[in-house]
Amino acid sequence: MSTAPDNTLSGFGDYFDGARARVQRVAVTVFPDKVMFEPAEGKPVIWRADELRALPDQADRTGIVLYRAGDKLARLAVPDETIAGALRANAPQLTRRPPVENKGRIAGWALGAVASVALIIFVLVPIMANQLATRLPPDGEKALGDATYEQIRTALSEGDFVPLETCEAPDGLAALDAMIARLDPGDDLPYPLEVSVLDHPMANAFALPGGRVVLFRGLIEEASGPDEVAAVLAHEIGHVVNRDPTRDALRLAGSVGVLGLLFGDFAGGTVVLVLANQLINAKYSQAAESGADEYAHALLTDAGLPPSALGTFFERIRAEHGDAEGITAHFSSHPQMTARIEAALAADAGRTAEMVPSLNRSQWRAFSRVCGGAEGSGEDSAHEKAPASAQHWQDGDES
Amino acid sequence: MIFHPLKTDYAGRGAPMFRLALKTGLLTVLTLGFYRFWMKTRMRRYYWSAIRPGGQPLEFTGTATEMLTGFLTAVVFLAFYIGIVNLLLMFFSFSLFAGQAPAYVVSFVGLVPLIFFAQYRARRYIFARTRWRGIRFGLEPGVKGFVWRSILWWSATVLTAGLLFPAQVWSLEKYRTDRTWYGDAQFAQGGDWKSLFGAMKHVYLGAAIAGGGAAAEYFLEDEIWLVAIAMGAVWTALGWAYWKAHRFKRLTEQKTVAGAGFRCTPRPGKLVGIYLGGSLAISGILFALLFVFGIAVGVLFGVVDEDVLEAGMDITDLAQLPAWMGLVAGIFGYFTVFLFWGVLKEVFITMPIARHFAETTEIVNGEGLSAVRQRDRDDFVEAEGFADALPLGDGI
Repeated sequence: MSTAPDNTLSGFGDYFDGARARVQRVAVTVFPDKVMFEPAEGKPVIWRADELRALPDQADRTGIVLYRAGDKLARLAVPDETIAGALRANAPQLTRRPPVENKGRIAGWALGAVASVALIIFVLVPIMANQLATRLPPDGEKALGDATYEQIRTALSEGDFVPLETCEAPDGLAALDAMIARLDPGDDLPYPLEVSVLDHPMANAFALPGGRVVLFRGLIEEASGPDEVAAVLAHEIGHVVNRDPTRDALRLAGSVGVLGLLFGDFAGGTVVLVLANQLINAKYSQAAESGADEYAHALLTDAGLPPSALGTFFERIRAEHGDAEGITAHFSSHPQMTARIEAALAADAGRTAEMVPSLNRSQWRAFSRVCGGAEGSGEDSAHEKAPASAQHWQDGDES
Repeated sequence: MIFHPLKTDYAGRGAPMFRLALKTGLLTVLTLGFYRFWMKTRMRRYYWSAIRPGGQPLEFTGTATEMLTGFLTAVVFLAFYIGIVNLLLMFFSFSLFAGQAPAYVVSFVGLVPLIFFAQYRARRYIFARTRWRGIRFGLEPGVKGFVWRSILWWSATVLTAGLLFPAQVWSLEKYRTDRTWYGDAQFAQGGDWKSLFGAMKHVYLGAAIAGGGAAAEYFLEDEIWLVAIAMGAVWTALGWAYWKAHRFKRLTEQKTVAGAGFRCTPRPGKLVGIYLGGSLAISGILFALLFVFGIAVGVLFGVVDEDVLEAGMDITDLAQLPAWMGLVAGIFGYFTVFLFWGVLKEVFITMPIARHFAETTEIVNGEGLSAVRQRDRDDFVEAEGFADALPLGDGI
């Protein structure tokens, strides 16, 4: 390498003409506005400074590999640091990227991909899920529900992959059984109803395929009495009878993989989590909600319970927590809800007094402590504490 | 004239790799994975240019937009398979067997040919976008033959409990190598199906020791045989490093192109050292990072509530933080670990391994290479979309 008086630098480089795999050692001269080198055969090659481009993200930081804008094959590798530095200083567009080719084709495929994914997730999968949901035999539905249930419990646990605890205080479960007996859907279900309580503070409940209904501890704490829980239970039973959760679970089975495909392994786990959450807070269609409401209405009336409890409960939670809270968002999609509450209240007005609540006091007290936690809400627990059962619960706390 | 072997230099360095991997990884996280095609392209450019046979760097000429297009192409086909077919499988699985296991099995079996398909097509794309001395590599079309051979060989491997694995590796490698080109020069894979069994000897031996120990433990009910099981397991693990080094050596030394051959001297001990040292470094740095993160949360908490700074930190104070703050800290911590784990793996494992294989490989009798002529561009729309969309591991 030498510095000539006329502001030029010279040294050597390796030239690859892109036609043959030979290494051509060439003398390279860097002028302020161009670089010149002379291959063994042929004329000297001149690349203007503004045409010079460098290969990006190269491991070798001392030298530089150059090409001429528009020329995809020929390369000039200059190993010397000083010359590379001079080139970097002289060439104004060294790091400019070649223009993106085939923009139209990329846009076409992108559109095709989006359209096909949208078609599959929003049209084909829901249609198929609708058709298949009613054709699934009871055993299959139960298995599907069990599998989904485990996934949801794991998703709800806080990150540590140990499924969320179910609440199993024996007295509380006995009370729950009494409530279920009152609300027996009978021949509407080909399988027995299986209700469990999850130890989670969310005021929510959801139904799964195969007769599984899940109540959250938060819902029981929020309820002012057993009839409100019974009303929610009846509504969820309505979903089960109408096969809404089966539709949802099948739709989920079709969508999870497709979304995971789009996001790659990068966020696949998160997608599954979000969708599981979606299932819990399932926004069924308005028709499905009305269907479940109607069913609940009939079921509660048959059981001699006030259907209005359903409405008053959601109204109260909505007033307390706003619409964003799981279950209110779930039910607030009913435009006819307010009307229904009023109608139900009017219908009940004369009868409420004669009605036998779905659980008696001690049953309700036991039920509201099914998770072994704090006092249940509602007027009953405020007074009249049976010492024996209090003792029982203290024991439960310690274990 | 004696032609000296062309040694391979390796120009990759830890610090620049760390910066590149961190920057591109961060962008990938921030764009919900969308940047990953750019990340992959840039990382490959770096890895390729680090390998310099005869002092001349390899060049990766693939582009991110090309990979994005390929991915979208694959999505159009795969979304149908994964959405509709899986839903039907799920339905029949629950209808007929009251469980989801059959659906998973059938779904996976259905994907297997697609995985082999994706492997071959990905390699074709990568070779078509790799150059050395300005000349393109290439892999001939031939995916059908590769898929059925892979299915047969993998079935044989599974049926023989892995005994035929080395024969499978050699055979599938021969299929691909014989269809690989450097410019107008065709590669040839020498050797035969028995070539790789020697490289597997320590794995067989370790497995035999562990298996024998397990059998003895079972029948003699003497706990001393647990030692044999442990010894066998360690032997197998070390034997796997021996397999990796010697598989590479044997396969590469039996390849020829344009009259040139290769000489490789990778050392299994070095590979073990890289894995052990790298894992230690990674876990050490991740722990340090978590520690710093914990302190940062503490300081943040102190800023929120000055009383705490005066009273001193207590772990129970954390419970009083607003819930959203805990959530944000959790998400931030998760992605930080996720990100740094990937970055550190490149710096401490992937790159040192690539360096070792590169630096212990040289080209012999390379005088014919200069006469190799350019080959036409393989305009390959689908790129490696299927390999991208299917979980094929991190192989670069």
